[in-house]
Amino acid sequence: MPSMNSVEPQSSAPQKAGAFLRGTLAVLPLTLAVVPWGILAGSFALEVGLTPLESQAMSAIIFAGSAQLVALGMIKAGIGLGSILITTLLITSRHLLYAMAMRSQISPLPLGWRLGLGFLLTDELFAIANQGKQHKFDPWYALGGGLSFYLGWNLATLLGIVAGQSIDNLGELGLDFAIAATFIALVIPTVKKPSILVCVLVSLTLAVVCALFEVQAGLLIAALCGMTSGVVCARLTGESDMPGTQAGRPPEAGAAHEEHDA
Amino acid sequence: MMWLIILSMAAVVFISRHLLLEPKLPLRLSKRTQSFLGYSAPAVLTAIFAPLVFVRDGRLALGLDNSYLVCALVATALALLTRNTLLTTVLSMGLFFLIH
Repeated sequence: MPSMNSVEPQSSAPQKAGAFLRGTLAVLPLTLAVVPWGILAGSFALEVGLTPLESQAMSAIIFAGSAQLVALGMIKAGIGLGSILITTLLITSRHLLYAMAMRSQISPLPLGWRLGLGFLLTDELFAIANQGKQHKFDPWYALGGGLSFYLGWNLATLLGIVAGQSIDNLGELGLDFAIAATFIALVIPTVKKPSILVCVLVSLTLAVVCALFEVQAGLLIAALCGMTSGVVCARLTGESDMPGTQAGRPPEAGAAHEEHDA
Repeated sequence: MMWLIILSMAAVVFISRHLLLEPKLPLRLSKRTQSFLGYSAPAVLTAIFAPLVFVRDGRLALGLDNSYLVCALVATALALLTRNTLLTTVLSMGLFFLIH
């Protein structure tokens, strides 16, 4: 048996590369689908008055599409830093939920891994890391997914910066539909139980209502109410297994997939 | 000024992503909390895309002249039928750029 004091997988280089590649492939549809959105982020930043370097830095350093686009709109409207940061916090607060959901898997890893995967933790990475049959969490798989998505987002932003200097009215093409298409493609396959359907419908309705009344915390309100409805529905109907994460699974389900050291 | 905005936004985003991954934070999740969090992905993703699809120019847009809604319905049907993320996104986006 290998020593148990380090949680970092002791797998061989080909195993790591394989997992990295599987992560890259798993996120690939999402990387492609985020391209129109990245183009929008790059070209809109220029339109708002950022330099090409600042526009690229937004994607490279912040790496959060929805927060970037909303902040750009606020910068354009001349709104101050304080309001921009509070709005950013509201939009990005969903990552607190993601981090909490992945805490049992990522927090035992060494600092470098935690910082790296923390920086790369997007909606898309969370979706692929928690999707399908619950295999043992592999940090190399998550790194492959996260890094390739980061690269795709930044290349798309660059494309937007280059195209934005030559094409007018890029913002009116409706590039933001890309995000709707991607998220629909991510959500539908997760709806496997009545409780998840209830969760999605409640979240959808409240998000629309909040948007109509311009409630800034709408995203968070809708998501938390949707999650609560899902839990309540599952309890009322006596659903057995939980969706998504490892919660509620018997330990032997994971043990069958345990990787053996080379 | 722009760099101050970029760097402070980056700090807010990174902290929200990293904070709860930090093992020094004394936080133990009960089974109940974990099952609650299992619903986070569908709930959050839905809350992001729903306003894009149903709200245009600050108003509820339920008509067939709303190409976001029409293509979202097509994407939903494709996702249900094919269960394929790539096919769903590419076909519905292609349709969107055709009719928008």
